Amino acid sequence: MVEAMKRSVFWSWFWMFIGTLYFILPLTSTFLFSLRAKKDVLSFLAYERIFSDINFWRTFTFSLIVGFFTILVSILLVVPTAYWIRLRLPKLRGMIEFLTMLPFVIPAIVLVFGLIRVFSGAPFFLTNTYAGTNVLLVAAYVVLALPYMFRSVDAGLGAIDVRSLTEAAQSLGASWPTILFKVIFPNLRVAILGGAFLTLATVIGEFTIATFLVGIKAFGPYMSLIGQNKTYEASSLTIISFLLTWSFMGLIQLFNRGKSDSALAGAH
Amino acid sequence: MSSNPISNSVNTKRDAPQARPALSAWRDWLGVIPFFLFVFLFIALPSFRLLIGSFQDSDGQFTLKNFADLMDPSILGAYWVTIRISLTTALGGGLLGFLMAYAVTVGGLPRWVRSALLTFSGVASNFAGVPLAFAFITTLGRIGMVTVFLKLLGIDLYDKGFSLYSFWGLSLTYMYFQFPLMVLTITPALDGLRREWREAAENLGATSFQYWTRVALPILTPAILGTMILLFGNAFGAYATALSLTGGFINLITILIGSQIKGDVLHNVGLGYALALGMVVVMGVMMTIYYFLRRRSERWLKQ
Amino acid sequence: MSYLSISNVSKIFGGVVAVEDFNLEVEKGEFISFLGPSGCGKTTTLRMIAGFELPTSGEVVLDSENITYKSPNERNVGMVFQSYALFPNMTVAQNIGFGLQVRKTPADEIQTTVKEMLGLIHLEKHAEKYPYQLSGGQQQRVALARALAINPRVLLLDEPLSALDAKIRVELRQEIRRIQQKMGITTIYVTHDQEEALSLSNRIVVMSQGRMEQVGTPSEIYNHPTTEFVASFVGQLNLLPVSEVDLKNGVCKLNGQLVRFDHSEPRQISDKPRLAIRPEEFQFGQAEGRNLIQGHVEVVMFLGAVVRLRVRIGEVLVSVDLFNERNMTLPRVGDEAVVNFPPHACWIM
Repeated sequence: MVEAMKRSVFWSWFWMFIGTLYFILPLTSTFLFSLRAKKDVLSFLAYERIFSDINFWRTFTFSLIVGFFTILVSILLVVPTAYWIRLRLPKLRGMIEFLTMLPFVIPAIVLVFGLIRVFSGAPFFLTNTYAGTNVLLVAAYVVLALPYMFRSVDAGLGAIDVRSLTEAAQSLGASWPTILFKVIFPNLRVAILGGAFLTLATVIGEFTIATFLVGIKAFGPYMSLIGQNKTYEASSLTIISFLLTWSFMGLIQLFNRGKSDSALAGAH
Repeated sequence: MSSNPISNSVNTKRDAPQARPALSAWRDWLGVIPFFLFVFLFIALPSFRLLIGSFQDSDGQFTLKNFADLMDPSILGAYWVTIRISLTTALGGGLLGFLMAYAVTVGGLPRWVRSALLTFSGVASNFAGVPLAFAFITTLGRIGMVTVFLKLLGIDLYDKGFSLYSFWGLSLTYMYFQFPLMVLTITPALDGLRREWREAAENLGATSFQYWTRVALPILTPAILGTMILLFGNAFGAYATALSLTGGFINLITILIGSQIKGDVLHNVGLGYALALGMVVVMGVMMTIYYFLRRRSERWLKQ
Repeated sequence: MSYLSISNVSKIFGGVVAVEDFNLEVEKGEFISFLGPSGCGKTTTLRMIAGFELPTSGEVVLDSENITYKSPNERNVGMVFQSYALFPNMTVAQNIGFGLQVRKTPADEIQTTVKEMLGLIHLEKHAEKYPYQLSGGQQQRVALARALAINPRVLLLDEPLSALDAKIRVELRQEIRRIQQKMGITTIYVTHDQEEALSLSNRIVVMSQGRMEQVGTPSEIYNHPTTEFVASFVGQLNLLPVSEVDLKNGVCKLNGQLVRFDHSEPRQISDKPRLAIRPEEFQFGQAEGRNLIQGHVEVVMFLGAVVRLRVRIGEVLVSVDLFNERNMTLPRVGDEAVVNFPPHACWIM
């Protein structure tokens, strides 16, 4: 029995080793590569070049703002709906769950194709103006974020007694906006933040939708452009992007301590 | 997901104290209108456009020609490659992810390994697209670190027929976000295996092997298959990674649709619609299976 | 030598003693309960018999075979878990047949046994259902049938009823006893519920903090507890401070009133001697030849079959249980009360 235990622990370490190699090797290679921008010496030149590139900051800021609006719209759309479903329309729950899973069925490339076809023509003409295109971009990202935003918020609502909280607030004389913003939202802080950072992590470097709607204005297409032209800078961008993802995930863990909600990936 | 006592108590129909019966019916529905409006505009409308467009020719007349065009060998080939890549990486990523999740749950590894793995997986499952492609180019590309290192050892990968810009190269790259996703979703399922099941099986005379083949794996099967379907979808819809890695050399459906949108190739919008619809159908079938599998495992595991 | 013999068994978990020097001889067909509060080591002892824990020292001998270090799947002892532990992916019939199936028993034989077991637990109609379709009580019956199907040498039950509702609990308790007697199987039953232990067992092992406190028949345990722990854990017990204890003649003083007690069993007196008496030994009113004490009624609780009073006698509160009668007039709070009890019902601890 003890023999068997030892054997099983050996294989456990073995598979961990294989997996760790898989994790580490590409990152190490990229990092080492990014240090070789100057001939024959290791340097952070590639990083300096990226950080002094005006387009890096411009596209990054653009994607950050888009991410911010995506999160804002997602929260305003998902939280009241999920709350209302639990409180008043429990029979709609299955249907809403189904609808929020739809983005899994519709790949990003298909979504952006459909959106362009619908909104570039009459009666919307959204793609004719910058503002309109940006609105469409945010809308597309909200769709992408829908599954995990809803799951995260719904799980958060499940953990508090929505009905009693609402009734307690009502009996104390609170209005609906007060209930929503002073009672429900604060209790969902962790769930909302978890969904928000996950959204940010996917939106920041998103390529597929951004490239067809706004092109080089967004961070994802910018990284792609750099990747085609400047190898060393591209490696440093890869490392930066990995650190960004890492910090968003770290923030989720920080807020989500003890919970193990799986972070489903969105658009690849 | 929804089997906690609170949600059940909410589901039991009760009247809120202030509800006025005459008004409450339509006021209840008012609360979900923004959501349905959004879904209608940004999910339903585009989907309908795809559906209708795929049955129209360039003049807007009804036609089945777009579907006939799908039968073109290069397009069928693209579907086939995309499905094969998705299957390969779902199975490969699923297997590696399962083994690692097994290692940190029942495999007897220390606790810190588990939290390290879960953190890594959270990051890696979201690390995709351009940066991921680049990371693999610097690793396994022609002058990638591993390629060069192996060459020093006398193994020339590219002489042996390997290429990062091929089916297997792309599969290896996809696996980077595939197996962490498996780890993330299957770890809770492995945690859900109750100690008593193992003890009951042993008590009834089962060996460890019999416990795994007759109890544990059958219980986990819906979760494993369900997660593999998610992985399938993940790879099936991937565009950015493939484009940045191969620059469009590999004939994937997403790449084909991409060129349709850009109008580089065929200038045939109807065909584009049909291509997209085909993807939605494949994914729809997959998600339906996923839905039933998930229901089954939730039913088994509820107390 | 007895059928199951547990000798000098101890178990230490990382420096903490869970079970200390446990000794028990069990005869074939006997029904033994391990009774005690949670953490007293009763479940650990059971799990050592099942093989899920290895003793730190001592040995377990079953049917003249030393099984101390045998792996659980070779012991052929049946176990029923508190949480049922039915396999969720198998039907009722498959669950019951599992043990035989892993033994590679021929299919028709399995079928016969499963059928027989289903009849035993009265669930013939549910053979093809899955565990999630059954109630808790039904699931536990299936678990019992599953454990019995392998024709085990000993049946081990680990708090099998504590996850169930009160009413089902009593019902299933009788079922377990009926099936055990019918099959004549040696059974060890772990519980923290004294009523279960008293009503089911041939003998009870009372445990506390890893040690055996007392082993005896239910009436021995209840009527002649040897330690204070047993006396107060099993049933209700008044422990009243007394003075001027005369062990030889069996007299002492309770709040100045003379009380005679049972001094037939030799006892040690601690420096704070107390008189032990169960609440149901009291009666109201005067009576010839019995101890009499006087006090005031302070609390009246009507519990149905029993009326529980707290009577204040000077500094001490005494619990008094009276059997309810239909035309009984309940005492009221503040009433003067005279209660009597026989000298043989109380003893000094």
